[in-house]
Amino acid sequence: MKYLLTFHHRDRSIDSASPEEMKAGMEAWTAFDRETTDAGALIACEPVEDPQIKIAVGEDGERTVTDGPFAESKELLGGFCLLECEDLEEALDWAGKTPLRPGSTIELRPVMDLSQFGYESATLSPVKANAAA
Amino acid sequence: MKYLLALISEEGGMEDASPEEMKAVMDRWDAYSKEVVNNGVFIAGEGLQPSATASTVRIEQGQEPTVTDGPFAESKEQLGGFYLLECKDLDEALEYAKKIPYQSGSVEVRPVMDYSEFGYESPAEAAAKATAS
Repeated sequence: MKYLLTFHHRDRSIDSASPEEMKAGMEAWTAFDRETTDAGALIACEPVEDPQIKIAVGEDGERTVTDGPFAESKELLGGFCLLECEDLEEALDWAGKTPLRPGSTIELRPVMDLSQFGYESATLSPVKANAAA
Repeated sequence: MKYLLALISEEGGMEDASPEEMKAVMDRWDAYSKEVVNNGVFIAGEGLQPSATASTVRIEQGQEPTVTDGPFAESKEQLGGFYLLECKDLDEALEYAKKIPYQSGSVEVRPVMDYSEFGYESPAEAAAKATAS
């Protein structure tokens, strides 16, 4: 079962962090990536910048492009991690190990299995990609 | 440059869909996924189970993380899925965002952060390099 972990922050620490703090944070994330990779769980993990652009699709199929920043969301999506886990418990264990700073929230969402409709996800984990290469 | 396309829409609406209608919708998503894979821009993409299946972990200074059932934010519109794409620039990302086969919903386009100056390498890049070497 795949789980998507989304990371939400009240503020962006990058704006106030010293280079040393940034480096320490990155080392902690590299260690997390290594641990989840070694466990065969990691598929993707990325930090994202603040929202810039939104495209709305209306009922009539019309696409409208809007430029940000968007103020409606107080706690911003700051990044995400896609993991292959046995069950929710394992996903929660990994969530507990993410080196997120205090004041952060992680939402865990199971990925939909659409194979009954003939849809196969094209996402390949680095571990599987390396094994196939 | 990597871009996250966050797919946000009102939940539900497909409960009464016939198997034929479901298949028609899935065929459109399937075609979209094939296009991004064939164009070499696809890194990852998944549909998520409804937000009712979400778990939320909150991290606060000096406290044990708390786990609650349900999504991070109760709102009518929820994250329903995502694509992570490797694009030349924002324009290309927007082209793909506009092609998302939504009937109604929003696509939030977010550039992935580059932390390489702090010594952080995304696991997707590390895997790509390992496969290439």
